[in-house]
Amino acid sequence: MGGLVLLILLAMVGAMVFGAVSIGWKNVFIILIDTLPFASLSAGIEISPTHEDILLQIRLPRVLLAAAVGSSLAVSGAVFQGLFRNPMADPYVIGISSGAALGAVFAMLSGFSLAVGGFGAVPLFAFGGGIGTILVVYNMARVGQAVPVMTLLLAGIAASAFLSALVSLLTYFAGEKLHMVVFWMMGGLGGATWQQVQVMVPYALAGYICVSLFSRELNAMLLGEETASHLGVNTERVKKILLTGSSLLVAAAVSTSGIIGFVGLVVPHFVRLVAGPDHRFLLPASALLGGALLIATDTLARVVIAPSELPVGIITSLIGAPIFVYLLKKRKQLRYFGGGG
Amino acid sequence: MGLNIEVHGLKLAYGAQPVLEDTTFTVERGDSVALLGANGAGKSTLLRCISRILKPTAGHILLDDQEIARLDSKEAARMMAVVPQETAADFDFSVEDIVMMGRFPYLKRFQKEDQDDREIVRRSMEMTGVTHLADRSIATLSGGEKQRVVMARAVCQQPQALLLDEPTANLDIGYQSMLLELAARLNREQKVTVIAAIHDINLAVHHFNRFILLAGGRVMAAGRAEEVITPENIQKSYGVPASTYRHPLHGVLQVSVVRGRNPDEKNNCGSEVHVIGGGEEAMPVFEMLNQSGCGLTVGPVSAQDSGCRFAHFHSLPVIIVPPFTSMNGAHRKEHLEQMRNADLVVVPPIPFGEGNLPIFDEVRVILKEGKPVYIIDLDGVEKRDYSGKARSLLEQMIQEGAVVLKSVEDLKAVITPGGGEQNE
Repeated sequence: MGGLVLLILLAMVGAMVFGAVSIGWKNVFIILIDTLPFASLSAGIEISPTHEDILLQIRLPRVLLAAAVGSSLAVSGAVFQGLFRNPMADPYVIGISSGAALGAVFAMLSGFSLAVGGFGAVPLFAFGGGIGTILVVYNMARVGQAVPVMTLLLAGIAASAFLSALVSLLTYFAGEKLHMVVFWMMGGLGGATWQQVQVMVPYALAGYICVSLFSRELNAMLLGEETASHLGVNTERVKKILLTGSSLLVAAAVSTSGIIGFVGLVVPHFVRLVAGPDHRFLLPASALLGGALLIATDTLARVVIAPSELPVGIITSLIGAPIFVYLLKKRKQLRYFGGGG
Repeated sequence: MGLNIEVHGLKLAYGAQPVLEDTTFTVERGDSVALLGANGAGKSTLLRCISRILKPTAGHILLDDQEIARLDSKEAARMMAVVPQETAADFDFSVEDIVMMGRFPYLKRFQKEDQDDREIVRRSMEMTGVTHLADRSIATLSGGEKQRVVMARAVCQQPQALLLDEPTANLDIGYQSMLLELAARLNREQKVTVIAAIHDINLAVHHFNRFILLAGGRVMAAGRAEEVITPENIQKSYGVPASTYRHPLHGVLQVSVVRGRNPDEKNNCGSEVHVIGGGEEAMPVFEMLNQSGCGLTVGPVSAQDSGCRFAHFHSLPVIIVPPFTSMNGAHRKEHLEQMRNADLVVVPPIPFGEGNLPIFDEVRVILKEGKPVYIIDLDGVEKRDYSGKARSLLEQMIQEGAVVLKSVEDLKAVITPGGGEQNE
């Protein structure tokens, strides 16, 4: 765990050093410490105010946002995989992403100039679309008081397919806005602002605390719902809480950065392969690794064709997939996880 | 310790199909109860109601006079532990992790497992004999080992009642009795109330002291083995003819399904056969003749003999003599008549003693009258001879025309038309 903390800190520093304009790592520290109240180190060293602006107004919020989004995706991926006892599950499995995409595309095409608290229509509609979808899916899957997870999964997949079709339909008629739509769906952290960080970080923290309080219950749920219930887990209540927490995480992540694939699917598997399925370790470790991974890949996305940028989703998959396959091969057996149940 | 479980007027249906219909019974503190019944009789459904997985549409379940629906999840898990038929376990939790999950109902949200919990885990693993597996991944264990780990977890829950739902269905006979013996030990030593749904009646009678027989979601019989496990009850609930007998070593009741005549059997022999005597080694002869559709008469046998039980079960004419006595004149005369009415007479591999040697006076009479007599397994006669006179007697009969057959298969060839040579 300590190693993972170090990793994410290194990733943060690296992300602040590299970019279209390179800022030396010493200067990065000086600028950062300088901004703290009651501290001053700048004596003797000249720091360009442009660098200071780039670091504090562009790179730092972007790094923090990448950390929050990466952690949120990885943690919610871990929760969905555990809840559904299905290794194929990812943060988008029950249709949150499709709902968010529909909201976002709708906002882009209709050209709403709505703005609440400084936010444009696109993130607001995306968030609404995501949360709306999960509510519909939940109610579709409900049988009386209970929500069987398999029904939930299937209802989610059905809703996802339906909404994706609508998104494709809208995209087809997107005209000159096509570029914008496609780019949003590839996901990216370009243009991150402090304001986004201020909204995203509390969501990420709240969602994380909410799900991590139930790590022990999630462990029991891995043995199957009935067994968990025999062990004293109030399964229906726990499911509701976990769904709420992880849906908030996903919806917040998607609405700030579009659909970034792979992180949420692979990071939890990665941690499980190395450290086992105990969610009391899996959730914080996934948060740190997910954050670090997204910071690192986002930095690459900024650097490879600087001053232009690649969508970060492309990089995560290009780098993450081969590493994951390597790990699978090395471990040979994929028995750390039950099949579809 | 021990929990009083009262089930009253349960009703539950899957769709239009009623599964539990006014199910009512009481399990006393410290009882160990086997829940018997055919597939679909409602055993598992009933256990799933008690373990709060299913909610019955009507009726009450009381644990020590507390309605289970009102219990908090953790409170219920401190009272009851469940061992299901199978537990999904394809992930990398260690055995110790799995057993430790049995402490879940005792831990508050921010409470860590402490020394006491670890001690209870250690003792539970020791009792169920899985200590040496502690660090193994549950995914790498065999079915029998896995079930013992699940049992260890149940013990770790320190329950006052233990519910087992077909816990032995996928185990070999060694693990079957080991697992049920563990449940019986919890019941004996810690007075834990045990209820187990179980298919294998003959296994259940070894490990439980009370029995509840379910049929169509109702309690058909409840009580001691002798009150519940009767041929009539088995016939009514499982729909198969059955007979009961005492286990030769343990004396517990055992059940076995009895084959009736197979109506599709082509080789109906059509002749009347009389079989002499009984005893276990003669049973294959009775069974074969009956299956082949022969008219069968039996005698003389004592009332406790397996041949006598066979004759009673299939309502065959039988001559019964009191045990430990020789036959009187009336019996011998009746026997002679019976043999005369038959088309052929069979001497199966029976034991020979001073008591039954006189029977063969009559056999020789009908042999002289020209009735075919078949002796099965002449070579093995010394092992069954307690009089020392059997071989010479049988050899005398062979000279008088009796035919020796090696085995019951040869007899089948004789009585089946076209299947073998007909004597005379």
